[in-house]
Amino acid sequence: MQGMKRRGLTKKQIRGYREFLYILPFLLLVLIFSYYPLYGWVYAFFDYRPPTPLADSKFVAFKWFVYMVENPTRLKRLLEVLRNTFAISGISLFFSWFPMIFAIFLNEIKCVPYKKFVQTVTTLPNFISWVLVFSVAFTIFNGDGVISNLAMNAGWIDKPVNFLQNSNHMWFKMWLWLTWKNAGWAAIMYLAAITGIDEELIEAAKVDGASRMKIIWHITIPGILPTYFVLVMLNLASFLNNGMEQYFVFRNQFNSDYINVLDLYVYDLSREIGGYPLSTAFSILKSIVSITLLFATNWISKKIRGESII
Amino acid sequence: MKTKKIIALLCAVTMTVSMLSGCAGGSKTSTLEFFDVAANYNGVQGGWFAKAVKDKFDLEINIISGQGTGEQQYATRAASGNLGDILILESAQFQDCVKNGLVKDISDEIYKHDSLKAFQQQIDALNKGLPDNPDGKIYGIPTEMMNTSPTSYSQDVIYSSPMLRWDLYSELGCPEIKDLNGLMDVIAQMLEKHPKNASGDPCYMASLWPDWDGGDDMIGIANVVQLTTWYGEKIKQSLILKPDGSFIPLTDKAGSYYKILKWWNTAYNRGLIDENSASQTWDDACAKMTAGQVYLFWYSWQVGFWNTNERLADGTAFIYTPVKDQKYYAEADSFFGSGRVFAVGSKVSKDKYKKIMEFLDWYASPEGAMLQHDGIEGFNYKKGDDGRYVEMNSNALVDNLPVPEEWGGGGWNDGNNQINQWIVSANATNPLTGEPYSKQYWSTYKEANYTQMRKEWEAKFGAKEPAEYMLKNNLLVISPNVSVALPTDDNDISLIRGQCKDAVNKYSWRMIYAKTDAEFDKLWDDMTKELNGYGFDKLMQFDKEKYTIELNAKNAVK
Repeated sequence: MQGMKRRGLTKKQIRGYREFLYILPFLLLVLIFSYYPLYGWVYAFFDYRPPTPLADSKFVAFKWFVYMVENPTRLKRLLEVLRNTFAISGISLFFSWFPMIFAIFLNEIKCVPYKKFVQTVTTLPNFISWVLVFSVAFTIFNGDGVISNLAMNAGWIDKPVNFLQNSNHMWFKMWLWLTWKNAGWAAIMYLAAITGIDEELIEAAKVDGASRMKIIWHITIPGILPTYFVLVMLNLASFLNNGMEQYFVFRNQFNSDYINVLDLYVYDLSREIGGYPLSTAFSILKSIVSITLLFATNWISKKIRGESII
Repeated sequence: MKTKKIIALLCAVTMTVSMLSGCAGGSKTSTLEFFDVAANYNGVQGGWFAKAVKDKFDLEINIISGQGTGEQQYATRAASGNLGDILILESAQFQDCVKNGLVKDISDEIYKHDSLKAFQQQIDALNKGLPDNPDGKIYGIPTEMMNTSPTSYSQDVIYSSPMLRWDLYSELGCPEIKDLNGLMDVIAQMLEKHPKNASGDPCYMASLWPDWDGGDDMIGIANVVQLTTWYGEKIKQSLILKPDGSFIPLTDKAGSYYKILKWWNTAYNRGLIDENSASQTWDDACAKMTAGQVYLFWYSWQVGFWNTNERLADGTAFIYTPVKDQKYYAEADSFFGSGRVFAVGSKVSKDKYKKIMEFLDWYASPEGAMLQHDGIEGFNYKKGDDGRYVEMNSNALVDNLPVPEEWGGGGWNDGNNQINQWIVSANATNPLTGEPYSKQYWSTYKEANYTQMRKEWEAKFGAKEPAEYMLKNNLLVISPNVSVALPTDDNDISLIRGQCKDAVNKYSWRMIYAKTDAEFDKLWDDMTKELNGYGFDKLMQFDKEKYTIELNAKNAVK
């Protein structure tokens, strides 16, 4: 020991410290923005009600965690909300191959200007906010919207119809809107993966007489499948977090039974001033479920494909 | 190398110095952060009202609206410990904020200002009534105060009553209307005769809007809650206050909430209601009122979207039309205020505090109140030859008339006071003229607008004004104005309240759109069941205790 001290720091050690200093700012950022806010979880255990400070609030232990399920009516609401969350996330997951296929077909378009055009047109909606998407939907589908007016003029209906108030096939409709908005954007990842495929493989297949479909099936798809799995697993981990903007703007009093997702429910609860601790309790549970899902999928991935994502 | 470094250093120093001097330089207009639960507007006040305030106080007002997202905006700011420099709060929020030190004690300053001192009785009543305020310190100023009495009724109209287009009503021969169904029949006949407006758009009995639902301390949807006052009843959250002073549950089928909801449903099934009612915004609905697509008005402010002087003159304006079985609930003059409170944030600097108090004093002064209620002298009104004020440019609001540069420019409506709440009510008497502030009550206005239509109306109903007719025929259930501090919700109650609100809103709209009576009744039963599941009993018990305190105070005044 003493010998080392006398020798001072080795070159390697100095480099180690220096490199640690390089990443220190980022570590600090993570600590401040990702870990420090966890301190807010403490509100879930108090009868907190602004503007009364936390110090003067009553400690209630797990009251708000039990609150969600102790009452049958509230439990029913919670189950309904969970059902919608699972259904909507489930449909997205079930169709998660869609952007991949879209990217493959896009890649097959040989006319470059047309390809660029399709890609731009499909990517653009991603940058439109949900509020604007909804106002477009509103002008098309509401009671004095384009479709209702056209149908009236054509004599198919004798009274205006507000399609947005229809609660049929809500989950699927939501998936359609989401896909319209996101498919082009999600395809970018796959397009990048496709360019990563060794050109020689395709050339060799062509020499061997493989058709276009065969190249797709035997080279392109296997080539981008790893990307697909990583994305699916990340999606799985955020199964409960399907966001709220989309559902918030499309929700009305008629479709709310099928569109209320967990995030929206938490928002509703926290809108009332007494809902702070309760909604905090909800988000704690959500974080725990998400972490569990992430680890579970990682474990499955390791078992099945022999590689993990984290 | 060295010169480069020196130059760089010099640059840095000069930049820092210029930045600092930029901050401290001269006397800059200070900006007041105005947290305002009444505002429908976010951002810095602009236009003619901003100019008036800036010229007088060198102040700019940055409005932070507390509306639109429930109480979230308030809760976040309250949790941070600083709501803003100047505040308009709901009564319960005010109590909580006083308790937790978010509101400044203004006892030392307030009565140094004459215009505020004029309302000392009302201001004292509010503050001495606060729980935990044994020393009677002053924290807040009531909104919309009057200088009449807490039991009088000085308006010409009431807040909600059925109003019809006079030309359409007289075209049918002014048939006597017995009840709600009769009213619907009359409007259906109007629609049959005039199914479209002048520009060919479809007309409706009513075009409703959902965005007010659950606001203003109410359970139930706004377009139903308001109409329940037509039967002398008043919805007090989970309860309905009957004219005899008893409370019944909101979910009672014999109560007016059920009655009005059912009425809208019947109208919907007769094809008289705009299909977009449940999904459009208030702005959409107002656009339809302005375009003449709506044949029934029920809020007194709705006439502002239609009744211009020309229409009053040619008889196409809306006016109250009596329905025989109705008796109207009306709040008496808001002598002690309308419930909301002006206050000063506890974190303001000394300088700002002084300015705020001067501003509030002006806001409560006749000069300030005239600017708020009547607009700009020389543009919205002028002094006539006989010394009485006369209205000008009466369409300033409807047409958003351009304001001349000397008063700040811009559209009149855009530059209107976005604070949207007053210390002095528009119906209070202006000490400078002896008449109410509101232009519609000026003698010159009344003389000018005693049109053919008004004459016909008077001949038929034997009164000059709707309120006069109601008072004469004993149709008004006047609820005295009192100043009492009511208990505020704890977390449990407010969660139940929130869930019940959402459920009532959801089922109410579905009931309006229900296809059959059976579907309607099933929805009502489902709603009742869900409400009970959330703990409606507990909520009713809380509300009953709360509103009995208010009721007792009102009875004591009577």
